[in-house]
Amino acid sequence: MSVDPRLARSRPQQQQQPTAVPPPPPPPPMALDGASDPADVVPDHKFKLKFCTICASNQNRSMEAHLKLALAHLPTISFGTGSLVRLPGPTAHQPNVYNFNSTTYRAIHSELSSQNAQLYTQNGLLNMLGRNLTIKGYPERFQDWIPGKPRLDHAEDQGAAGTEAGVVDVMITCEERCFDAVLDDLHNKGGRLNRPVHVFNVDIRDNHEEARVGGHAILDLALSLNDAAAKEREVFGDGGWERGGGAAREGFDEKVPEILASWQERWPSLPALWSLAWV
Amino acid sequence: MNPSAQTLGQLESARSLALGDGRYYPTIIPGVMPIIGANANASLEIRRWGADFLAETFASPTWPLDAKASCALTVLATLKEYLDVVADSGVIRSAVQAAASIYPLVYKHIISDPTDTQHWQFMLAIKSNILRRMDSAPPGVRICCVKFLQQVVLVQTPGMPPDPRRPEQIDISLALVPRDHPLIPYANLEAEASGLLDRLLGIIHGDHSDALLVTATLNTLGMLIQRRPVVTNKILSSVLNFNPLKLANSPMTPKNKVIMKSIERTTRALLVNVMKRNPEGPFNGRIQQYLERMHRMRLDVFDESNRKRPAPAEPTDGLDTAKRQRLGAPVPNLAPTALSAPPLPLGPVSFRQLFTLNPDGNTANFDVQAFKDPEQLLRILVPVLQSIDETKLGNSINAVRSRYLALSKAVPRPTIPAAVTVDDEEEYEPDFEPEDAEQAGSKLDGISLDTLLPQRIRDSPLAPYKLPEAPPLTTQEAQKYGEMTVRRAFGMLSSIGEPSLKAKTSKGGFNRLAASNYDRDSWVTILSRLATRASAGLDDPDVGMKSEFDMKKASSSLSEPIRDELYRYIIHDWKKRIDVAINWLSEEWYNDNVLASKVFSKGATNGNGASPSTPKGNYQRCALRLLDGIITYIEGTDKVLVRFISEIPGLDIAILSRMKKMAEDPERIDLAIMVLQYLYMFRPPARELAVDVLVDMWRTNDRAKNNAKKLLLRWRPEALNEEEGEGFRTDKESAHGALEVKAT
Repeated sequence: MSVDPRLARSRPQQQQQPTAVPPPPPPPPMALDGASDPADVVPDHKFKLKFCTICASNQNRSMEAHLKLALAHLPTISFGTGSLVRLPGPTAHQPNVYNFNSTTYRAIHSELSSQNAQLYTQNGLLNMLGRNLTIKGYPERFQDWIPGKPRLDHAEDQGAAGTEAGVVDVMITCEERCFDAVLDDLHNKGGRLNRPVHVFNVDIRDNHEEARVGGHAILDLALSLNDAAAKEREVFGDGGWERGGGAAREGFDEKVPEILASWQERWPSLPALWSLAWV
Repeated sequence: MNPSAQTLGQLESARSLALGDGRYYPTIIPGVMPIIGANANASLEIRRWGADFLAETFASPTWPLDAKASCALTVLATLKEYLDVVADSGVIRSAVQAAASIYPLVYKHIISDPTDTQHWQFMLAIKSNILRRMDSAPPGVRICCVKFLQQVVLVQTPGMPPDPRRPEQIDISLALVPRDHPLIPYANLEAEASGLLDRLLGIIHGDHSDALLVTATLNTLGMLIQRRPVVTNKILSSVLNFNPLKLANSPMTPKNKVIMKSIERTTRALLVNVMKRNPEGPFNGRIQQYLERMHRMRLDVFDESNRKRPAPAEPTDGLDTAKRQRLGAPVPNLAPTALSAPPLPLGPVSFRQLFTLNPDGNTANFDVQAFKDPEQLLRILVPVLQSIDETKLGNSINAVRSRYLALSKAVPRPTIPAAVTVDDEEEYEPDFEPEDAEQAGSKLDGISLDTLLPQRIRDSPLAPYKLPEAPPLTTQEAQKYGEMTVRRAFGMLSSIGEPSLKAKTSKGGFNRLAASNYDRDSWVTILSRLATRASAGLDDPDVGMKSEFDMKKASSSLSEPIRDELYRYIIHDWKKRIDVAINWLSEEWYNDNVLASKVFSKGATNGNGASPSTPKGNYQRCALRLLDGIITYIEGTDKVLVRFISEIPGLDIAILSRMKKMAEDPERIDLAIMVLQYLYMFRPPARELAVDVLVDMWRTNDRAKNNAKKLLLRWRPEALNEEEGEGFRTDKESAHGALEVKAT
C-alpha cells in the first residue's frame, strides 16, 4: 500500500485541528515547515519506533524536535530534565520560572504577553510558546515520568499515536547535561519494565536557530533508526529469518552505533553520544 | 483485510481497555491467551503482538503484584513456546523481557508454595533457554538476556528483610527464601546468583566493539548496586577496574569514536549515580579518582586523534606528517630556500643550539641516546645518510659553519644569513620521539658552549680521584685549629643556655662522671678537666707558671686556650656563672694537689698535699686572674663575691689582699669586710689570714678603719693596741679568746 504524499502532508494539519486552541497572537509559522519533504513522513502501516525528545525546559530544543518527529508521523513524547521551566526574562538575572507538569504553555504565553509583549515577541519567546501549545498542553519533567504508565490523557498531543502505553524505544537528549541526567534518573527508576531504550545525545545550543537545525538532525537520526528497525521486522518477517544472511540478519540494536556514526559524519557540528539503557 | 489483521484489531481494542484501566488485565489475559498462546498456531504477526503484549502487561505499573503473580503462572507455557519454537528475534526479545518481569513473580509464588513443582519447572525451562541464548543470540536479544540475568541476580541475592509495616513495597530477594525450601535450596540460588553476576561483570571486561552489550550491562548495574548492598563491593571493584577507552588502540573509525565516548559516558553516569545516592559511601574517594583519571584519558585519546591520525594508509616516504597532504605536489620543490636558519639567541650558546637549524622541528627534540642498541642505530643511520640531498647537506654545513665562525670571532651576532632550508634535517631523521626528548634537550640547553668544551672528551675511563694530601700542620697551625675547636665548644656551651635554678641538684664532686648528659654542667666539667688534667704532668712545671698572665709561653697543649675561654665565658656573665668558676678552680686546685702529691711521693713521704711549700700550680694564677677580672665589675651589693671567696678551695694572702685593694673603693668597703668576716666565721683555717688582711686594711685604709676596728676589737685587739696604746690590749685579748672558743 502506497501512501499519497499529499495525504500524508495534510494529515498533521488535520490532527492539529482539534487541538487548535484559540490561536495565539503570532501564528506558529514553524508548524508548517517541519516536514516539507514528503519522504520524511513514515507511512502509518509501517513499523514505528517510539521516540522521546528531552532538553532542559521542554520548551525550545525538545519541542522543535518533537514537532519534527510528530510531523513525520513518528510516535513522540517530550520532556525536560531541569528542576523548573526556565525562560529568559527581562534581564539575564531575572529568568521567568515555572513549574513543570502544571503550568501550561498557554498560561505561560498569556503571562508573558501581558508582561511585555514587545520584548517577548522580539526574542521569539511568544512565537515559540505559540508553537508549543499546538503540540501539547504543558512541559513535562523527565524525572516525574513513570515509564509504562499509559498516556491516554495525552491523546491530543502531536505525535501521541503509538505512545499510549507510556513507553519509548529511543530517547534523544539535546545537551550532555540532559543526557547525564537521563541516564542518572534511569538508574534511579531501576529499569522496572525490563525494556531496552536507546538514549542518544545530540548537542544543540539553546537558541531558536540551532534548535531548528538540531530538529532536522534529530529527524534525520530518527528516520535512520526507524528505517533500520523496520527493515529488521521485514527481513525476519515473512520467513525472512530463513532467507536472510549476513548483514541482512543483523538486528536493529547492534546497528545503532553504525547508524549513529554515519549520522555523525553527516552532522559533524552536533557531537553525539549514545547508551543502551533500561526503562 | 486478512483474518490476521482482523484479529489484531480485536486484540488491540482489548489492549486499549487494559491501558485505560490496569484492573482489567486479570480479565483480559485469559481472553487473549487462547489467541496468542501455545497451541494456537498463531501467525508471526499475532505472536509478535502477543510477545509485546506480555512484556508490556507484566511490566505495567498499573496493576498490583499479587494479581500479576497469579496471572504470570498462566502465561509460562506460552512464553516457553515462544522461546522454544519461534525464530523471530522480535518475538524472542519481547518474550525475554516478559520473562524478566515474570521471574520474580513466579519465584515469589514458589517461596510461598513450595509444592508447585510444575510451574517452577516451566520457569526453569524458560530460564535455561534464556541463559543458553546469552552467548549465541543476536545482540538485540542478548541485551534482553542481560536484563533477565539482572533480575535473577536481584531476586537470588539477599536484600533487606521485608518490612512488615509496608507489605505493599515488598522487595523480592533471597532474604524471603526459607533455608529449608525443598524446591529452591537457598545455597544453590545464592551460588547461581553469584555466578551470573560474574557473568554480567565479565561482559564489561570483554569485547568493547560490542558497545550495545557493554552499555546495556553497565546500565543494569546501577539498580543492583542500589538495592543489593551485599554485592555492591564486588560490582564497584569490577567497574573501577574497567577501562572504557579500551578501543583507543584500535583504528579511530567514526564508529569506534562514538562507541568509546558512549561507553565512557555511560560508566561515568553509573558512578556518579552511585555517589549521588550515597554521598558518604566508602567508595566515593576511589570513584572520584577513577572519574578524574578517565577524564584525563579521554582528553588524551580524543586530542590525540585530532592531532595525529592513526597509522597512515599510504607510504609516507619519510615525509613529515604535516606534509603528507601535499604529496601530490613536487616534493623537492617544496623545500626551497624560502626558510632560513633562525638567528642564534644572544648570550652563551650551547652546541645543541649551534647545530639546530630548525628549533621547532621534531628532530630538535630527538635524543639519540634513546637507541640503546648501536646496531639499531646503524640500521637507521646508513640509509638515512644515503638519502641525504648533498646540496642541502652542504647548505646546512655552511650555515653551521658561518654560525660557528661568527661565534668564535665573538662578534655581536645579530642574524646569521644562512641560505639553508630547515626541513632537510627532518627529512633524514626517523619520525621517532623518545619520551624524555624534551628533558634531554633542556638539559643540553642549560650547558653553555664554553663549559661544554672540556667535557666533550668522555672516551677514556676516569681514574679514581684522590684528594691531594694535606701538608702536615705546623705547631702554630695545630694550636690555631685547636683553639678554634675550643671556641666552637664554648659557642655551643652558650647556646645551651643557663640551667634553671630549680635544676640544682647535688654536686658530683671530683669523682663524678664528667658528663652523663648534655647540659651546661656536663660540658663545663669536661672542659675544665680537659684544661686541668689532660696535659697534666706533661709540661715543664717551671715553664708554665711564671706568672698568671704569661700566656704566650704556654705549651702547645690545649690547656691554656681552654682556660682562656673558660675565663672569658665566666667573665661574660660572672654573676650567673660563678658556679662555673668555682667548679673550674676546684678542678685546678685538685689537679695541682694530685701533681704535687706525686712529686712528693717520689721524693719524701711526709705526704701533706696541702702543704704551702708545694710549688705553685695553675690554681693560684687562675684564681687571681679570675678574681681580678671580677673585681673590676663588682659593686658593693654583689654578695656573690662572698660566695666565691668562701667556696674556692684555696686561699692565700695574694687572693685576700685583693679584698684590701677592693676596699680602697669606699663603696665596696662593707663588701670586703663582709667577705673577711665570713671567712673568719666559717673557714677557720683561713681565720689567721683573714685577720691579717683586716689588720692590714685597718692600718692602711682610713675609710675602712671604723669597720675594721669593730671586728678587730673582738678578733685581735692586740693589733689595735700596737697602734693606739697598751691599755686596751689585755681586755680585748680575753674577749677575743672567748669569742674564738665560741666560734670554733
